[in-house]
Amino acid sequence: MSTSAITNTSASSKISVRGLRKSFGSNEVLKGLDVEISEGEVVCVIGPSGSGKSTFLRCLNKLDQHSAGTVIIDGFDLGDKTVDLNEVRQHIGMVFQHFNLFPHMTVLQNIMLAPVELKKESKADARATAVKLLDRVGLADKADARPAQLSGGQKQRVAIARSLAVNPDIMLFDEATSALDPEMVGEVLQVIRDLAAEGMTMVVVTHEMGFAREVADRVIFMADGVIVEEGTPAELFGNPQQERTQDFLSKVL
Amino acid sequence: MRKLNIFRAGKLTVAVTALLALAGGFVGVSAAAASQSAAHPVSAVSGETFVIGTDTTFAPFEYRKDGELTGIDMDLIREIAANQGFTVEIKSLGFDAALQALQSNQVDGVIAGMSITDERKLVFDFSDPYFDSGVQMAVAESNTAITGYADLAGETVVAKRGSEGETFAKSIADEYDFTVKSLADSATMYDDVKAGNSVAVFDDYPVLAYGINQNNGLKSVTEKEQGSSYGFAVNKGQNPELLAAFNAGLADLKSSGDYQSILDKYLEQPAPAAASGFFGLLTDSLPALMKGLGLTLLATGLSILIALVLGVLFGFFKVSESRLLRGLASIYVSIFRGTPLLVQAFFFYFGLPQLTGQSIDVLTAGVLTLSLNAGAYMTEIVRGGIQSVDPGQTEAGRSLGLSYVTTMRRVVLPQAVKIMTPSFINQFVMTLKDTSLLAVIGFAELTYQGQQIYASNFRTGETLLIVAALYFIVINLLTMLSNKLDKRFNK
Repeated sequence: MSTSAITNTSASSKISVRGLRKSFGSNEVLKGLDVEISEGEVVCVIGPSGSGKSTFLRCLNKLDQHSAGTVIIDGFDLGDKTVDLNEVRQHIGMVFQHFNLFPHMTVLQNIMLAPVELKKESKADARATAVKLLDRVGLADKADARPAQLSGGQKQRVAIARSLAVNPDIMLFDEATSALDPEMVGEVLQVIRDLAAEGMTMVVVTHEMGFAREVADRVIFMADGVIVEEGTPAELFGNPQQERTQDFLSKVL
Repeated sequence: MRKLNIFRAGKLTVAVTALLALAGGFVGVSAAAASQSAAHPVSAVSGETFVIGTDTTFAPFEYRKDGELTGIDMDLIREIAANQGFTVEIKSLGFDAALQALQSNQVDGVIAGMSITDERKLVFDFSDPYFDSGVQMAVAESNTAITGYADLAGETVVAKRGSEGETFAKSIADEYDFTVKSLADSATMYDDVKAGNSVAVFDDYPVLAYGINQNNGLKSVTEKEQGSSYGFAVNKGQNPELLAAFNAGLADLKSSGDYQSILDKYLEQPAPAAASGFFGLLTDSLPALMKGLGLTLLATGLSILIALVLGVLFGFFKVSESRLLRGLASIYVSIFRGTPLLVQAFFFYFGLPQLTGQSIDVLTAGVLTLSLNAGAYMTEIVRGGIQSVDPGQTEAGRSLGLSYVTTMRRVVLPQAVKIMTPSFINQFVMTLKDTSLLAVIGFAELTYQGQQIYASNFRTGETLLIVAALYFIVINLLTMLSNKLDKRFNK
């Protein structure tokens, strides 16, 4: 497993991003990001639409491949072609805006798929784990339901349970509550809040400023492909230094 | 010597064999290479088997009676073969197709009421003449306006493409001021005249005489023109011993009187056509049509199976990240979607053997054509199916650490197959119907059998109704079955 583990990052750094650039064709959406995230840290990324927040997140598990710079996750350099990407991805759970549950499977099958296919667990063990995870997100009674029978909030909680099933030590949330009806946002945020409390390392792209202020250890404000400003919630929300940050916050708060 | 071997299908062999077993007796006929036990060779070709091409219907020289090929040419070639101790395998291809098959060495000889002309002598070697023909004109029974060539002014007449009748009609077309339209076979020409699309037909007199005696709705109004002679042909420079045997056998039959009795059988005592009702026609034609239907289903089944494999393979190529594979699949699709199926069928049956020197049997050529053609459409169905699955599904699978293959297999494909199924069923039906195009290369499927039947009984409308009804029933039954399976497995 640790074929290409790199040792030259600071010991506490779970995610180390340096000079990250990403272009789609001639359109450069990330223009050199430097981010260090240590174990157990909860980082919220905020910013206007099109600022590159989601692309940044997708570069962390190589759903998008960065054009330049380095991305090191748990000591694995994602730019290194010898790194087993599938192995690395088992360390990083990802939750999508549109849930992306597998519609042809039941809730339980959705959660069991990866552990069983990756031969991490026997079917029986995977089922037990899945039931436990479902219980944890408050959906024990929905095990045999199909995704189409669930509400948006329930779908997203199943999606979270699914990514937890491979036992990741980092979780990425890509606007996990943006597609939800307002009354369902709370139940999903509660699950994320619980995870934060358990010490999971998390990068959360969100439009929920209240949530960011409450849960984040650090808030990053992005605009136009660069990090404009970052700091503790108190610093960033209470006393933003940059004009762009002030401008953005004045619109959303 | 070339033995017809339906199993000589290269990669198809395994599948062909399996499906042949299923198809049972349907194909038994074509696969039967007669074993000959000639103890005392009487000629250089004794004991050999020759493949002889002929027209589909050129009554009374060749036509089907109760599903069996019969006629003057058929009796003659069989009796000569018996006389000379060789075996013949008759392939009923159609006149044009038979000549092309001869040129590409798909057949060893052609006997098809073919006039010996200087032009044809350039590419074929002819036997001694075995029949003196001549062209005659006929019009619809009810037509009283046309009694001679002079009445044709400003009208359109039909003649068989490449025939003596066409040559003659064209030679007087300017003088009498009429237009000549060329069609491929006698039955079509007669129907054209009866339907009033043209006023008269120029055809060889024995053929016309036979048709009129079978109540084909025409009458002759002029005397026959002095015409050329019919000969048996082999490809230029090929099979000289077959030609010699034919001549020797013909001479024997003439001196024994057998030759004359064959002619008399077909020309002197034309049987009055038994005017059976529709159900009589149905009962008479059903055995041959069912045989055709069997081959239609066999060709469809084989083609769809192979097309499915091709479609999945190239469909994956199309969505792959490799430029090379995507390009390969695109070229394949554009070739087979960008050319007519009919041209492809001609190419695989006639063109390919000329290019490679390797002959190909009609089932293999037909299945090759249909499967490559349907495969191109299947490729697009597979590509479309895979691409219509939300990319978020792949991303979710990959973000869980599943490999590309596992994500495809467990996440994308189950959803894609569901999307693709109705298109698959559609393609299946299209391919089944496309098999009818293989009639042009002489593949004895359902449409071909129908053509054979109305070519000899001239009941075109009723026969085609039966053929269409059979297609309709089979296609709708299969569609219902497919939809049921779709509902059951793609809930």
